[in-house]
Amino acid sequence: MRTPLFDRRDFLKAAGAGFVLSLSPARRALALETDAMFATAYQARTGEYGVAILSEAGKILHSVTLPERGHDVTFDPISSKSVVFARQPGTFMLVFDHTGKDAPLTIPSIAGRHYYGHGVFSPDGALLYVTENDFDNAAGMVGVYDARDGFRRVSEFPTHGVGPHELILLGDGRTLAICNGGIETHPDFGRAKLNIPTMKPSFVLVDRVSGDLIEKHELPEKLHQLSIRHMDIDAQGTVWFGCQHEGPATEKPLLIGRAARGKELEMLDMPEDILGGFRNYIGSVAANRDAGLVAVSSPQGNAWAMIEAKTGKVVAKNDLVEVCGLAPDRDGFLATTGAGLVVEPDGKQTDDPEHVWDNHMLRIDLQNT
Amino acid sequence: MARRPLAAALAFCLFLPSTSAHASEASSKVIADAIDGFIRPAYGRLVGTTAELGKSMVTLCAAPSPDTLAAARAAFGRTTATWSEVEIIRFGPITEQNRLERLLFWPDRKGTGLKQVQSALADKDATATNAATLGQKSVAMQGLGALEFVLFGTGADDLAGTSATYRCAYGQAISGNIGAIAAEVDAAWRDDKGFASQWKNPGAANPLYRDDNEALTELLEVYVNGLELVRDVRLNGFLGKNAASDKPKQALYWRSEGTGASLAGNIAGMEALFVASKFGELVPADERWVAESIGFEFTNAQAAAAAVTGPIDAALADPAKREKLGYFALVTSSLSEQFGTRLSGALGLTAGFSSLDGD
Repeated sequence: MRTPLFDRRDFLKAAGAGFVLSLSPARRALALETDAMFATAYQARTGEYGVAILSEAGKILHSVTLPERGHDVTFDPISSKSVVFARQPGTFMLVFDHTGKDAPLTIPSIAGRHYYGHGVFSPDGALLYVTENDFDNAAGMVGVYDARDGFRRVSEFPTHGVGPHELILLGDGRTLAICNGGIETHPDFGRAKLNIPTMKPSFVLVDRVSGDLIEKHELPEKLHQLSIRHMDIDAQGTVWFGCQHEGPATEKPLLIGRAARGKELEMLDMPEDILGGFRNYIGSVAANRDAGLVAVSSPQGNAWAMIEAKTGKVVAKNDLVEVCGLAPDRDGFLATTGAGLVVEPDGKQTDDPEHVWDNHMLRIDLQNT
Repeated sequence: MARRPLAAALAFCLFLPSTSAHASEASSKVIADAIDGFIRPAYGRLVGTTAELGKSMVTLCAAPSPDTLAAARAAFGRTTATWSEVEIIRFGPITEQNRLERLLFWPDRKGTGLKQVQSALADKDATATNAATLGQKSVAMQGLGALEFVLFGTGADDLAGTSATYRCAYGQAISGNIGAIAAEVDAAWRDDKGFASQWKNPGAANPLYRDDNEALTELLEVYVNGLELVRDVRLNGFLGKNAASDKPKQALYWRSEGTGASLAGNIAGMEALFVASKFGELVPADERWVAESIGFEFTNAQAAAAAVTGPIDAALADPAKREKLGYFALVTSSLSEQFGTRLSGALGLTAGFSSLDGD
């Protein structure tokens, strides 16, 4: 039988009941104020790193301490477990439930590899796909982990590029879209970028079952220093990606692009003042499929913007110091900052004096509860 | 790898937009002093040492001898020393046309440069003996790393005799290319309508710096990024967790025995910039101790690095010298904290958790 079309939200909806019931009554009440929870890595004022599940209003419902700085979180609605990935060049990922009932499980990267901070589950929650660096060979890899067998690493396949970053699963439940940022790093030299003059980012589609390359797209040669890093999918199945420019600051390339199957990458024209305000750096991309919107953030430009997916027009630009995390919420987006703010779609702000929020935020729906 | 503590408190800095005319004036003065008191003179010195290096190569090629080779090698050491001071400036004209990597492509983890240099020497590639055509070739074979191999690598002693004509001509072309790049960057910074003016005059219409905070953050990032580079890339690239895991051949300038001097030069450059810009004087009077503490640690870090002389493998094998490097790591971590947390906090800058080169 053909794999049914995968709608991430359907899975998320189905997942909600389990972990809401497992929350303590007080936290459950807090969680039920909204129809979603949000997962993000953080740093506490004490300097400690961790990952937290937040309510829409920015209240911490659950948190787990991390040995080093985390990056993105992915969620499996079947097991109701999340995985947080170490920021590159970190070497751990941590599987945790949202109650603390099961002890978190730390999965170290294998020898010669480190994680890049992003991963995604198969629709049935059985397999976890994680971007990794085969650093001695400067080759991007996807490690495949069996979630039903203690996250044993069962296979791997190449990303067909250097420095992979975010990967997401397309609507067919089978095709992985992967951003190869193009930047070579090696843990011997920290986060130093080793190949800026010759970097060649790419966007690829890979069959997660066979590991076969389906499509590979590169930007035009003059944009070879535009690192493709983060993305999300709109309601039409188009992938929207955000870039970080590694060339001189005096160059102001377009930073947002779209990728549709079988088509060349297309960069999105933007008004100069908005583009300039991003200071050549997009930190995250999120889609609100119900609202037909895509949001992009620039922590370096202290701004984020909403784009209408259908027309590609910027419909709102918001100044917010150190904004990076974005997740769809109501008719817009929840935004978080590296200064500790959570900003709701209606503009309501919650300042957490004890935590600052990392680059990404994941929405976890709680419907059917 | 040990995580830097610096990001920690960074993010908790209060954001205090310095919109008052007073703050703006003070901020512009700091940037102007950074340019006139450090950046322009430092690039000027680089132009000077690269020109001397070029001359010494011409002399070596015209009259090869142990003395002219020694003179060229010494000129190379003076060039890497002046470059180490100014290479902390990793924004502006040096980032155009891959100049930074063309001047020094490092780390060359896969030995790309070495292979290209060796193949140019083996094939006697004529396009590599002309500074202009060399400048169009791979970044890895036209800068200080390539010239170091020419002057200090396997077979370099032949330069003292008459058998290494091609090698010398290639080295001369590299020195010419380095000199040309230095001159271009120097001229660009001296142009009163160029990059310096953009940095000094932030404003809504300025595409690079929209306000004082962005201009000052650029200066702050010299330290935040520079200290990370010196410690995590330069030092930890060869200094292992223990002596058994040291990798002396991953040290910058190991062939020319310039590793310690370069680390010291990086810190000397940061200190000179700090003093010239009077960056520390921007903080409120009751927090001036931060600036004093920074000055003290700059001195300690420089002394530690400068004590690491001679071949780096021998230094690593000498417990006393190796300990100096460990101390250098500690002090630079502390400096990261001073700049990333305390100074930025006192200035209300937001070079913070998410906005530093993230992911």
